[in-house]
Amino acid sequence: MLIETFNLTRKFGERTAVDNLNITAEEGKILGFLGPNGAGKTTTMRMLAGLISPTSGYAVVDGIRPDKEPERVHEIIGILTESPGFYNNMSAQRNLEYFAGFYNLSDASAQIEKYLRLMGLWERRQDKVGTYSKGMKQRLAITRALIHKPKILFLDEPTSGLDPEVSQEVRGLIKNLSQEGYTVILSTHNLSEAEQLCQRIAVIRTGLVALDAPANLRQRLFRHQTMIKLEEIDERLIGAISKLDFIKNHSREENTLFIELADPSKHQPELIKSIVEAGGRIIEVTDKKHSLEDIYLSLLNEEEKI
Amino acid sequence: MTKQRIYNILKKEWQVMFTEVNSLMLVTLLPVIILAQGLLYVWLIDKFGGESMISSAFFQSVLQKISEIMPAVSVLTIPEQLQVFLLSQFNFYLLLIPVMIAVSFATFSIVDEKQTRSLEALLATPVRTWELLLGKALSGAIPAIIVTWICGLLLLLGVQILGWGHLLEYFLNPAWFIILFLLTPAISILSFLLGVIGSARAKDSKSAQNLVLLIVLPVLMLIGIQISGLVWFTTILTLVLAIAIVVIDFFVLKVAVRLFSRESIIISWR
Ligand SMILES: Nc1ncnc2c1ncn2[C@@H]1O[C@H](COP(=O)(O)OP(=O)(O)OP(=O)(O)O)[C@@H](O)[C@H]1O
Ligand SMILES: [Mg+2]
Repeated sequence: MLIETFNLTRKFGERTAVDNLNITAEEGKILGFLGPNGAGKTTTMRMLAGLISPTSGYAVVDGIRPDKEPERVHEIIGILTESPGFYNNMSAQRNLEYFAGFYNLSDASAQIEKYLRLMGLWERRQDKVGTYSKGMKQRLAITRALIHKPKILFLDEPTSGLDPEVSQEVRGLIKNLSQEGYTVILSTHNLSEAEQLCQRIAVIRTGLVALDAPANLRQRLFRHQTMIKLEEIDERLIGAISKLDFIKNHSREENTLFIELADPSKHQPELIKSIVEAGGRIIEVTDKKHSLEDIYLSLLNEEEKI
Repeated sequence: MTKQRIYNILKKEWQVMFTEVNSLMLVTLLPVIILAQGLLYVWLIDKFGGESMISSAFFQSVLQKISEIMPAVSVLTIPEQLQVFLLSQFNFYLLLIPVMIAVSFATFSIVDEKQTRSLEALLATPVRTWELLLGKALSGAIPAIIVTWICGLLLLLGVQILGWGHLLEYFLNPAWFIILFLLTPAISILSFLLGVIGSARAKDSKSAQNLVLLIVLPVLMLIGIQISGLVWFTTILTLVLAIAIVVIDFFVLKVAVRLFSRESIIISWR
């Protein structure tokens, strides 16, 4: 594991921002932090990046304790902070040169050019950052996190404030980075973004709610349901279905049946046959898909009940 | 790497400094005013240093001291003796330059970065705290020192041009050089370090300035003491003072690194 936390906890006075968090991040993968406002995503990232210390527990990042040797962690990480700032009176390029100047880089200007071009900022590189739009600043901030080729990339809401097109580009870029071997920790409120990008998602609300691959999270929360849309549903049909012993559960919504089967691949043909024999006229048979949003909301609701 | 990182900070700070009219004005205008004022006093004594002035109790005591410390001046006229006194004090007066530049510059150095939020990204780089603080302090102190030296040079030139060249030998003693080349750098760095500390601790530049004014006060007092002639800084005393301040510089840098908690800067700024 490239990153591992052990009961990582951070309090601000009386308030606990991060509570006994135990998470891991694998090398070369993208781990998403998902959670409502104030869930402790930024605080966790700051602790992992060696910017603030935990009040108890600890983290290990590439074999280094960020609270003990922050400078060594800083050598291998790049961070896009939640509200990134620049020297507004200097050009974008000069800003990047300045930040690059703190690392031991032999090819800083080549790296700067590469990423400025990639981010579509090359033409505007001589402009003062103060004249940049919000989205341009955000792209510049991502560039800043990248120029020293960090092993681990922390991105705190990378697409916030970007238009849909640029967001998509940035997502593509993040995906490419992970394919190049970067390890990415990404916080977001955008569920489809998390689903699109992350191999694993940590749902956080002060403590850890769940940590798994999006598909596993889905399976864990929702059993498989077959959705059958009919022209019409009558009592005879319901009666016939109720007799089938492999049906664990069924419900009805207008002309659609939601049926939970013990073993879908085996029992689906059987089920359809019975419906047809009972005189049912089938329009459509599909699997019910749960969006990550459903998962996320039910995870948080489940939490709330406890 | 350390050298490279400090140089990186210096380069950027200077680049910003030289593109800001306000800071350029401060660095150029303030020394000119202080220099002109000094020369004006010496000139006033030359022009109007008549009986009335010399008969005042203050000047009597000053004359008394001059003759004790620099017996050689006894061959000069009374006004000339007073001129030598002022000229020998002048370097202390020049200390105002780095101190005042520090109060107005250093105070912004960290607070500005807090306000524009560039600081969190900066603190996430491998820059060491002491490198950052020293870099910030030196970026102001070096120009301030150079400007002060130029003023010292201009003073000597002015003395020549205004026809007081024969007084040079009386006040150009080792102490004069120690003040300019050892005490001035030491005090400049001290003021800037204190300024940077104030800036790192403060929430905004206004409160930073208040804080810095408070810590810079001792330096102003030193200038006051010397100018009033209460304590006469001989060569040895000057040397001791200068070395003491160099030592204090290192000490203050150490304390500064402790006081400058990266964490509190990040979390107290939301
Ligand atoms: N510097 C601070 N001082 C006091 N409380 C803080 C500080 N930073 C964070 N907190 C508190 O810690 C909790 C977690 O905050 P954090 O910024 O980590 O949340 P987040 O998950 O990043 O939220 P968002 O999605 O809104 O960015 C919040 O209750 C917040 O008020
Ligand atoms: Mg946040």
